[in-house]
Amino acid sequence: MSRTVLAFLLAALAAWGQDARAIVEETQRRARSTSQRYEGSLRVIDGRGKITEKRWRYDRLGTAGHSKAILRFTAPAEVKGVALLVVNHPDRSSDQWMWTPALARDRRIALQDRATRFFGTDFTFEDLEERDVDQFDFRLLGQETLEGALCWRIEARPKQKKISQYTSSLVWVRQDQHVVAQIENYSKDQLVRRLRYAEFEKVEGIWTARILEMFDRRRNSRTIMRLERLQYNAPMKEEDFTLQALRREL
Amino acid sequence: MRVWAAWLAAAACCWSQGFSHRGLLDTRLVAYPQTAPGDSGRAVAESLLRYEAFYRISPRWQVAGAFDARADTHHYTQRSWGLAWQDRTRRRPAFAARRMSAIYQRGRLTAEVGKQFIRWGKADVLNPTDRFAPRDFLAVVDNEFLAVNAARLTYGSAADTLDLVWSPRFTPSRIPLLNQRWLVLPEGLPEGLRLRDAGSRFPGGSQFGVRWNHVGSGFDSSVCYYEGFNHLPQIDARLLGLFPLRVELESYYPRLRMYGGDAALPLPWFTVKAEAGYFTSRTRRSQQYLLYVVQLERQAGEWFLVGGYAGEAVTAGPSSPGFDVERGLTRAFLARAGYTIDANRSLALEAAVRQNGKGAWTRLEYSQAWGQHWRSTAALTWIRGQPDDFLGQYHRNSHVSVVVRYSF
Repeated sequence: MSRTVLAFLLAALAAWGQDARAIVEETQRRARSTSQRYEGSLRVIDGRGKITEKRWRYDRLGTAGHSKAILRFTAPAEVKGVALLVVNHPDRSSDQWMWTPALARDRRIALQDRATRFFGTDFTFEDLEERDVDQFDFRLLGQETLEGALCWRIEARPKQKKISQYTSSLVWVRQDQHVVAQIENYSKDQLVRRLRYAEFEKVEGIWTARILEMFDRRRNSRTIMRLERLQYNAPMKEEDFTLQALRREL
Repeated sequence: MRVWAAWLAAAACCWSQGFSHRGLLDTRLVAYPQTAPGDSGRAVAESLLRYEAFYRISPRWQVAGAFDARADTHHYTQRSWGLAWQDRTRRRPAFAARRMSAIYQRGRLTAEVGKQFIRWGKADVLNPTDRFAPRDFLAVVDNEFLAVNAARLTYGSAADTLDLVWSPRFTPSRIPLLNQRWLVLPEGLPEGLRLRDAGSRFPGGSQFGVRWNHVGSGFDSSVCYYEGFNHLPQIDARLLGLFPLRVELESYYPRLRMYGGDAALPLPWFTVKAEAGYFTSRTRRSQQYLLYVVQLERQAGEWFLVGGYAGEAVTAGPSSPGFDVERGLTRAFLARAGYTIDANRSLALEAAVRQNGKGAWTRLEYSQAWGQHWRSTAALTWIRGQPDDFLGQYHRNSHVSVVVRYSF
């Protein structure tokens, strides 16, 4: 009898785990596009309430796990031209290079440096890479209402090949639109950063959050990014996502 | 000048996503607590206006241009109105085309022709393989890169990049001026010695370089070859007369061949970066030598830390007088640390200490942004050592500087 119960419990747990992965897979599938382009308008609000504003242009080519992205600062003037190339891989952490015009040089961002904040924002270099479903183990923890929307609450733990500053993340996925509504990132069970998605809007058939708010718990600061001029599936070329392209500054 | 104005006007008209520009107005005040032999000045003020623009003419063609206008109180800058297209003058030009190039891109191929910046190497404080990167060394420790006139062809995939560079006209590094504090004469010279700057003897040939860079899974490495001239000069001294004793100094740029390589290997705790170049020369009185740098780098939270060693090994040839800041920074321990206080403020510390203890250079810098456009930077540069050491000879040139920058 006890063996039957145990087997049932194990099967239920396995199914529970399978469900979590299926939910995330479906979320990823619905957000799939061949490319993405937006202009990010960022407000960094530090622990003392001081506000700094930045802007960047973001281009991504490819779909989850097989994508490349270039992010270029357009404001403030002193960081204009600074750019980051992110090459995402399905089976491991991304490769990243940063271009600094003042030095006329690119620099590879080492894996152990990815926990560093990206140019004074509350996003780290790691937060700018894609989270592909194959890089995490998932566990469905339950359901919860978040800002009026019923969500699945899922735990994501990076697989061994994925080197991450976070030991685990909690992901809230809205059940009505199958979009991520919030991610809490933990390091050794301590909340480090919380990313909230807001103002959902259907753009070219894809439910997209127009506002992302990253909260850094240790520094008590947050960065609010608004996505402007958002486009999906715009024509882009592979050769515009290389180190040479990074240097061209346009 | 008219060409430049027309170019600017055309660029402004074509304002679109294919056009990008930026600029800065930089005002710097440098104060030296000590006077130096031949230079009693204790303060230098400099201003720089820089404008850079990039325009994409078509999906394949792009142009890039940059313009500098300068003035200073210490005659570092020429007092003339002409627009300089090449950086070959002893003093900085008052108006200069900093960069002017056309870029063609098709598939994996990128070609850039014109005045451009070319940087090779991976190390931070010293780059032995960075052969197409002459610098302005008028104030030796506060230097900036100069562009070179070249044609550059880059063919690259995600993993491998082949870089071919041909420069038809040599661009030298700008070296300290006679009768200024950054030119330190050897001790023991006779009193009353009169020195005359006979200018430079520029080489007539072209320069060529090739570099292959490989991006592996978790590491980068490259090998390179360079055939050309050293952008740092050797000095010929000629006796003009005995009573009074008059000597003429002329710079010349020896031929140089380099075989080099570099690598960056991220390990769990830090990144190891190494760069080395072996130099030979067909010019008489030039040495054959190896320069190398090994450094460890780590970014932890708000800290950025670099520590390393720069070495040199001479394999053949006699020692000749010259201004070789690259070799002057070898046989030394190098360090750099940066701390980001918050989104607007940062601290940085750089140091080079010769292994024999004869020379040391340290720079401590505090920088703060004010709003969207303004930044001020205060720095203390401390130089100590013996007169017979490359770094130590500048021991009277410790200084404080304040820079106010408006970026637009």
